[in-house]
Amino acid sequence: MSRPDWIVLILTLLGIVAYGLYKSRTSRDLDGYFLCNRSVPWYMVLLSIMGTQASAVTFLSAPGQAYTDGMRFVQYYFGLPLAMVVLCITFVPVFHRLKVYTAYEFLEQRFDLRTRTLTSFLFLLQRGLSTGISIAAPSIILSSILGWDLFWTNLIMGGLLIIYTVTGGAKAVAYTQQLQLIIIFGGMFIAGYMVIHHLPSHIGFSDALHIGGKAGKLNVITTGFTGKKFDWNDRYNLLSGVIGGFFLALSYFGTDQSQVGRYISARSVSESRIGLLMNGLVKVPMQFLILLLGVLVFSFYQFNKEPVFFNQSQLDLLAHSKYKDSLATLSRDYDAAESQKISSVNWLSQHAGQEGSPEYRRNEEGLKQAEGQKSLSRTTIKRWLNDKEVGGDDNDTNYIFLRFVTDYLPKGLIGLLIAVIFLASWGSIAAALNSLASCTIVDFHKRFSTKELPAEKEYNLSRWYSFLWGVFCIIVAQLAYNIGNSLIEAVNVLGSLFYGVILGIFLVAFYRKRVGGGAVFTSALIVEAGVIALFVLNRNGVIHLSFLWLNAVGAIGVILLSEAIAAVVGYRMVEEKK
Amino acid sequence: MDNDQQEDKPPILKRWSYWYALVIGFLLLLIGFFYLFTKHFS
Repeated sequence: MSRPDWIVLILTLLGIVAYGLYKSRTSRDLDGYFLCNRSVPWYMVLLSIMGTQASAVTFLSAPGQAYTDGMRFVQYYFGLPLAMVVLCITFVPVFHRLKVYTAYEFLEQRFDLRTRTLTSFLFLLQRGLSTGISIAAPSIILSSILGWDLFWTNLIMGGLLIIYTVTGGAKAVAYTQQLQLIIIFGGMFIAGYMVIHHLPSHIGFSDALHIGGKAGKLNVITTGFTGKKFDWNDRYNLLSGVIGGFFLALSYFGTDQSQVGRYISARSVSESRIGLLMNGLVKVPMQFLILLLGVLVFSFYQFNKEPVFFNQSQLDLLAHSKYKDSLATLSRDYDAAESQKISSVNWLSQHAGQEGSPEYRRNEEGLKQAEGQKSLSRTTIKRWLNDKEVGGDDNDTNYIFLRFVTDYLPKGLIGLLIAVIFLASWGSIAAALNSLASCTIVDFHKRFSTKELPAEKEYNLSRWYSFLWGVFCIIVAQLAYNIGNSLIEAVNVLGSLFYGVILGIFLVAFYRKRVGGGAVFTSALIVEAGVIALFVLNRNGVIHLSFLWLNAVGAIGVILLSEAIAAVVGYRMVEEKK
Repeated sequence: MDNDQQEDKPPILKRWSYWYALVIGFLLLLIGFFYLFTKHFS
């Protein structure tokens, strides 16, 4: 990186830390530290839940996803607006009425202590590990592309934000998320503009879309049917997006304290609701635009040299392996194919009216041959990387966008886009640390402590817990580095293993009033074991089930099984509401 | 739940159910738009 990039990056990061510290003043009790004294307006609720959900991976992975697989990933978010409506009707009024600090407090009031403790423990386990992985994933990508030391990248990715998160709690988290999102959206908008700006002069925005469309990248809606058969292993289609995405979003926003903590800090039920509903309105279009950026980058690379593999560190790995000589030959063939491709695409795009002419057909044929050669080269590289002796990582999807940024954006802007990655990461990690600390003190320390603590002492303990969770997550990040790119998938899979069951417990709490604590606790343990078994069977190829469906299986499993157990052992007495 | 809804009047629209309909309607509109978008560029 150049000096202007370093200046922009350092100033942006330090500016956010300073702003977080400036906004840290709050009352020295749990209400102030975890819930901003329940005074947050709707627009800050909106920005805070968006900032918590959008991690660095969102901005690194999504454009790469569109580049390789097309825009169908957007369907993953179709269930989110529906989940927002259910949350507003059911979850929000109850959380506000009971004035809870954590979502799991409600479970003790509705069921019993052990159900609350189990659910909170599952949350701490899942969120603690996945936050550590969320630090490691972007750090690995940045250190790989920029040649930074991974230890220090992890430390800055997960460490600097601890300063304002520990000092200012939820208030500092909410205010910094607000500023972070403004910088993130600004940076992404400028990146989008720069992609179009770098296209040849005769190619406009609409032409770029047509190029992406011809390559099958604008497949926003897919049905998941192959012939007449529905593919249950297909991750992103209309059905899995609406149903699987609904359960995932409902679990995440309704039962994950890192999100619940954001909207219960609103000043009223109305403010929480509007914040969540606005999220339901803007999330899908926002994700659509981020994916569209990936398609524009794809169109850009039709006129410019595309790297044979976007993760340069893996090519360096091959260059020092037994494939060294073969790689040199392959690179020459690939470069020739790239030149052919660029020449053909340029000619074809400038002579769109001459379809059917001999020259047009010759260029079409040249393009086809070049694409065939490129595809062969990439497949070969992936095969070499998968060689156990090499031990490489054959997935470069998450490197595509950042590689474009570092190769083609002007000085200063690269620093801004790198800052965007850090800030996106900080927003979600800060909210996670705040929620981990709130559950630790409220659901465990305070609940099981035999002596009453003064407010000041609780406040100080909360700060310590925030700090210790920060240290824990950084340690997880340092240990997780050798898992490679599958880290990103690991975060999603980890969530799907636990979210469904936690959601099932909450749905029984809200909608099955006659089911008691014993039935729901037993069924949660059994279904959790079942979900893990399904995951293992799928991993070993015995069944074919996308991880997105595990949320639905967990939630529906707990509802049905707890109902069945309650029917056998007897329903609890429920007071009639007058 | 009804009491909560009465206590917290929604802004702009008269009832919360109108807000929910707006969010779901907008989602359907988006899916329709995406369908046409996919068809147009495929």
